[in-house]
Amino acid sequence: MDQDFGTFAHLTSPKAALYRDIMATFLKAKRRFTVHLRPEDVDEELDNGPDVSVIAGALAQLVEWGNLRADPDTSRVTTVEDFHRARFLYQLTRHGEATEQALTTYDEALGRRGALQAVALTDITDRLRGLLALAGEPDPDPAKVHLLLDSLVGRFRDLADNAQAFMRSLQRTIDLHDTDADTFRAYKDRLIDYLERFIKDLVSTGAEIAGLVESLENADVGQLLEIAARREAEDAAPGADDNDTEDSDPRRDAFERGRVLWQERWQGFRAWFVSDQHHPSQAKLLRNQARAAIPQLLQVVAALNERRAGRSDRTADFRTLARWFAQSPDEASLHRLWRSAFGLSSARHLTADPEQDGAVASSTPWASAPPLSISPRLRKTGSYERRGKPNRVLDRSEQRRYLADLAAKEAAETAAARAALVTSHPTRLSDIATLEPGAFQLFLGLLGDALAARTPGADTVRTSTSDGSMAIRLRVLDGPGEAEIHTPHGVLRGPDFLVEITDLTTRDETEARSA
Amino acid sequence: MSAVDDVLASSRAGELRRAARALLRRPLVRASGPEAEAFVLIRRHAATLREWFDRNTGWALIVEADLARLVKYTSHTDDPTYPAREARSKPPFTRRRYVLTCLALATLDRAETQITLGRLAEQIVLGAGDPDLVAAGMTFTLEGRDERSDLVAVVRLLLDLGVLSRVAGDEDAFVKDTGDVLYDVHRRVLAGLLATPRGPSTVATEASETFEDRISALTAETPATTDDLRNRRIRHHLTRRLLDEPVLYYDELDEAERTYLSGQRTAITTRITELTGLVAETRAEGIAMVDPFDDLTDVRMPETGTEGHATLLLADHLARSTESPVPLERLHRHVREQADAHRSYWRRDAAEPGAEVGLTTAALDRLEALRLISRDAETVTALPALARYALAEPTVHSPQERP
Repeated sequence: MDQDFGTFAHLTSPKAALYRDIMATFLKAKRRFTVHLRPEDVDEELDNGPDVSVIAGALAQLVEWGNLRADPDTSRVTTVEDFHRARFLYQLTRHGEATEQALTTYDEALGRRGALQAVALTDITDRLRGLLALAGEPDPDPAKVHLLLDSLVGRFRDLADNAQAFMRSLQRTIDLHDTDADTFRAYKDRLIDYLERFIKDLVSTGAEIAGLVESLENADVGQLLEIAARREAEDAAPGADDNDTEDSDPRRDAFERGRVLWQERWQGFRAWFVSDQHHPSQAKLLRNQARAAIPQLLQVVAALNERRAGRSDRTADFRTLARWFAQSPDEASLHRLWRSAFGLSSARHLTADPEQDGAVASSTPWASAPPLSISPRLRKTGSYERRGKPNRVLDRSEQRRYLADLAAKEAAETAAARAALVTSHPTRLSDIATLEPGAFQLFLGLLGDALAARTPGADTVRTSTSDGSMAIRLRVLDGPGEAEIHTPHGVLRGPDFLVEITDLTTRDETEARSA
Repeated sequence: MSAVDDVLASSRAGELRRAARALLRRPLVRASGPEAEAFVLIRRHAATLREWFDRNTGWALIVEADLARLVKYTSHTDDPTYPAREARSKPPFTRRRYVLTCLALATLDRAETQITLGRLAEQIVLGAGDPDLVAAGMTFTLEGRDERSDLVAVVRLLLDLGVLSRVAGDEDAFVKDTGDVLYDVHRRVLAGLLATPRGPSTVATEASETFEDRISALTAETPATTDDLRNRRIRHHLTRRLLDEPVLYYDELDEAERTYLSGQRTAITTRITELTGLVAETRAEGIAMVDPFDDLTDVRMPETGTEGHATLLLADHLARSTESPVPLERLHRHVREQADAHRSYWRRDAAEPGAEVGLTTAALDRLEALRLISRDAETVTALPALARYALAEPTVHSPQERP
């Protein structure tokens, strides 16, 4: 019976419920420090239990599986029947007890709703304050340190486990909303309140805890952890292998192990409350998750409300309609049902004749009223003539001519200016004497280009206009001399140059020159 | 009142009119997409529109951040000429497509905010396993190509309505079985799709044995208890029909309605004209709210193209024989002749033998939709308003004669 888990056999038998009830009775008795139970005692404990004989059978079966042990009942009896019946006292076996413990754990794990413990947060803060106070002392009491740390770990483990279970159950609630809408609706207000409160606590207390953690680390928490580890190690039994020398003091090993363990715990604890750059703290994650759960809940509520917006269950409505459509007698009734149930059809109207005047008496029958006038083309061909006249194309030739004239005039002026400037041979500026405004404008541009291109020291410069239509060659003349160019707008005075201006647009000339 | 005020007032009235017309043409207007502009106007004038529709038609106008829905309770449950279509001019939905539409909506109502076409199809196949549907002869296993294209037609309708919007992929790939499509589901649009005073699922089964029971249970509004309410109900009913349907014939009304209408006719039609720009054409037999702008309709008449032309010619033909029902045979013959006569203008296949039957049916469908004829299996009867289309031989003025 040792390792074959026969004590779990009752779980899969058809009468599993009864067996479990009986075992629960034994556990309960054990809690009251009662060791032995008679079948009658079990029967008494079970509400609406079956007949005692059935229970006796079940007990015998449990004995066979190894969950219970039967000892002969030697007590005094008062009836003959009892005396002749095989009588036993039953008690839990070790296996049976272990099985029940396992099952209890199993049930708890599954059934746990999980809770977010605001109280635990406060407790943790208290412990940390205590620790901080001790850390300040030169020689802290190891027992106090150890107890504080121990209870801190205990509370914290609770908190973490519960938070995990809670988030799991919350997710389940949200996922399962379909099955139990009413419960869910009743539950969600309280749940949201609860979440809000917890988030608030987590924010305020969490921040305080994070602060305390920092202070403790500054106050050398490592030392406190070592004290705790050392105190635990003091209880370590001498090594069983009996080869302990001075070097391998079992307490030393235990201390080392304990120290590492405590440090790990502290790191875990720290990670829970203090975020670093790359890893947000667990508390923060939990907060986010709890916060995210609220809109999720609200979405579920909204979906439920939507579903209830109608006076009847909409899904059932659609199913009913599907059935009615399927059972409709003929095609016409299908369409009638569609229009009646959904009301999605367009309005439908005849066309009016905009030109027709409405001066027909309301007592005129349709047959006597003037009929609709319909485009002859539509009547004849089935398609409309073009409605109305196309827009008249505007005649813009006059404007165009004006623009053309303008362009021609400009071109002529430019050509004349060019012609006026072009020199057949190098000419002194002072020889130019007078220029018309157009030509002068052009000339100023050229002169400017040439002067800008001139490098200091060079006495000759050659350049062309940016549009490449004209070229100018400019040579500095020795000796003083001032040129004057007269225009209708005034006189340009400046140092005299020898200039040669070429019109590059007239190809022939250019070629002739280069030849 | 300054000139500027005048202009502002008229532009306001114009905006209101455009908003109202947009709602009547498409009772579900989304903030994004082709009707975005209309949506802005509807939002701007939501209060006025809501009050108008509530007072005059009893229709609720729901305007939310992303969609506007005019909940048009139908004015007329007997009219089979308003089918669902994948797009304009596509054939009307078949029984299977309607059923699939409802199953798809039921699925989407429970779906997450996104869904693929493949997933949707799976769910619909599951839904189609409903014993009642199977008993009614509905099968959908998504095996054949026609089933796939039915599904795609449904999805395209939902895309058009805005229940779905496409994120990736395209439906053609799904039909060819080479790919899937991902959609966003817009639950708010979905929530506003049904427009009935009662949810179909609340109609008790014993009260819905027959189809007629069902449709009347679906559209029944709570009975009016006071004279005021009764009058209000009548006004709603009349306004709905005038606002939404091409022609209202007096002989379709009951006594109370006729009495009310004879007293309130001008008031009702004037209100409609103010809101929508539709003009009342009042005749001895009834009222047609006609549209001078020629776009507040889903069936146009006159319309261009072969079918439009055939409809026009057929209307002309029928309008000359108002008194008695015309056998369908004769109409086929007439269309045949017209097809020959207009060979050069009509679609090439319109002149093929046998094409006249389809053409005639299409033309009669339009005329029936416009409430210009009534028909049974064998004959067609002209309704009074068809006389509008009794066209005189066109007199063509030479340009000089024009006034």
